[in-house]
Amino acid sequence: MIEFVSGISVVCFAASYLVALACEASRLLFRSGVRGAAMIAFAAAGLFAHTLFLAWRAANEHAVPLSSAFDWYLLAAWLLAGGYLWLTIANPKTPVGLFMLPLVLGLIGAAHLSSREPFPQSPATQVWGAIHGIFNLAASVAVAIGAISAAMWLIQAARLARKQAPTQGFRMPSLEKLATTTGRSLGLAAWTASAGFVSGLVLNAVNRRQGLLETVPWDDPVVLRMAALVAWLVAAAVVSRSIARRPDAARVTAWLSLVSLGVLTLSILWGLFGATRHGVPPSRPAAVVGEASP
Amino acid sequence: MTIAFVGGTHRTVPLSLRERLAFSAEQAGEALRRFRSRFPGREVVLLSTCNRVELYTAGESQSPPPADQLVSFLAECRGIDAGLLEPVLTPQQDEDVVRHLLSVASGLDSMVLGEPQIVSQVKQAWALSRQNDASGPLTGEMFEAALRTAKRVATETGLGRERLSIPSVAVADFARGVFERFDDKRVLLIGAGKMARETLRYLREAGARDVVVVNRTAQRADELARSLGVRAGRFDELAAELAAADLVVSTTGAAEPIVTPEIFARAEADRRGRPLVVLDLAVPRDFDPRIGDRPGVWLYSIDDLGSACDANRRSRQREMPAAVAIVEEETRRFMGDLHHRSTAPVIEQLRAGWSETGEAELDRLFRRLPNLDDTARLEIRQAFERYAAKMLHPPLASLRNESHSGPPHGLLDALRRLFDLKE
Repeated sequence: MIEFVSGISVVCFAASYLVALACEASRLLFRSGVRGAAMIAFAAAGLFAHTLFLAWRAANEHAVPLSSAFDWYLLAAWLLAGGYLWLTIANPKTPVGLFMLPLVLGLIGAAHLSSREPFPQSPATQVWGAIHGIFNLAASVAVAIGAISAAMWLIQAARLARKQAPTQGFRMPSLEKLATTTGRSLGLAAWTASAGFVSGLVLNAVNRRQGLLETVPWDDPVVLRMAALVAWLVAAAVVSRSIARRPDAARVTAWLSLVSLGVLTLSILWGLFGATRHGVPPSRPAAVVGEASP
Repeated sequence: MTIAFVGGTHRTVPLSLRERLAFSAEQAGEALRRFRSRFPGREVVLLSTCNRVELYTAGESQSPPPADQLVSFLAECRGIDAGLLEPVLTPQQDEDVVRHLLSVASGLDSMVLGEPQIVSQVKQAWALSRQNDASGPLTGEMFEAALRTAKRVATETGLGRERLSIPSVAVADFARGVFERFDDKRVLLIGAGKMARETLRYLREAGARDVVVVNRTAQRADELARSLGVRAGRFDELAAELAAADLVVSTTGAAEPIVTPEIFARAEADRRGRPLVVLDLAVPRDFDPRIGDRPGVWLYSIDDLGSACDANRRSRQREMPAAVAIVEEETRRFMGDLHHRSTAPVIEQLRAGWSETGEAELDRLFRRLPNLDDTARLEIRQAFERYAAKMLHPPLASLRNESHSGPPHGLLDALRRLFDLKE
């Protein structure tokens, strides 16, 4: 059993999700009586392997979730994959995987490119570090969910505007439900990203005051990109709320959510390929490609 | 074993004659009992719907009742001149009957392709036959095959999935695309034509509770409200009603649009950005089409909904080859089983003959070897039985294979002659 669990690699669950995505895409091509079961089976197998992988790392490699950039991305992917499985079982006719699984695979790809080295921590900063990681994780997942429902809203609205009946195997939820999900996700993303940023500032200040670990400079790329992301999300949430009683509010919010995902993606890429002192042990030079944190 | 059929559908029998030919459940029960006494030994099922009257009969005899007798029987039951029915009722036999029944149950022969009600009508017809002791093993297997085929067509093809009526498409494919729920939505009926009433039925099924009807004549609005069990609104407050509504169904007979962009602009100011679905089922249109360009307004005219229905109809047509393939597969399977069943008497005689010979030889052997214990006797008996089974396997397998392509008369004759079996 131990041999089996320790043998699970990122490729195992990424491949399962990829097959589930291929099954989802085949909805557009042909009808099948067994596809639903196959999709759920592959997604469940992937999620099971994903869970075992994270649990193994936590138990044997002392890499509790959020303790490194690698684990942070994998935990975000795990949350989205769990959401996908739940939504697919609850709404088997909705092709939600076409939107969610590419994000899951993207996060796994980001994990693959990022550092597995744990973030430097001291007992004094452990709590603030955990709060910082959890809020950033929640913000990223909220942005992803908001963007997924926004994309679905735009597709459904285009279908209704073209006055076309829904395509078999490609039945979207109602605009009402999608608009509600998009708006709430955007609001949640703004709150949690702000909390994550503020807790990061506190963490940095504690480090600076206690002199335990090397602090991140205020003009570090990670600080700047997080500030930009928070500023965008707060602005988008404010705009979305202020136009709530306009007839085009849902459409504007959908576009804001999609752009938010774009900003988050740019922020992650910047983190992956830019030099930073965020999450780097004091004795080492600033991280370059593949070593930065989210 | 023979299967015979005579029947007519909306394609062959004019409505005026179909109305006279149709059987109520009571009349059908009486007809089934009369059929059994007229044609003893024949099983019968009578399927009577608004689009078809069909008589299915099956029996062990080699010759089914002639088609003209079946037509006369139906004519007599309904008091119609048989001469009127003969040209419009179609007789069929054996495999064609099975294929037809399987197609009917799957909705392939229905006026609306793939409509699902026919399955329950087929079930009811068979149940009525059983209640009147008119059904039997042959019709039983045939109708079981029909229901199995209908289920396969429904699950393995998309034949019955797309909606075809304008009200059902309007609600299920468009209104439900905008709104998640209807129990918290205001529905406004402007006029209440037949199409609006039908649409309201679907909306109520979806959960709509708050319904207001307005009409150009206040008295008519009150009458409509009473008949529909909804609240009456005032036509001169149409802009206010539009402001409060989430979904509008409009079916007035007005010659000009009754909701112009100017009237809608007054309503829009009070809508607070809520989306509005408008199902304009009137001809000429009640809503100016420019209103559909406003953000948050989803306006569908009867032509828009008709186009969606046509697309759904074409989609059903595309599923036809897959459905026909299932019907063909199930027909072949049923006929193969049926033909194989007709070989049962020969197989039984063959087995009995071998068993009899084997028993005689065993008796002789055991008399010659009196010292054999029970275990040895059992072993020898089992060896004889295995030998007989192995020797019989090739001819029986040939019979089974031959049954798939029709009644294996040649093989049966050969077996009878080779093994000296009786007819």
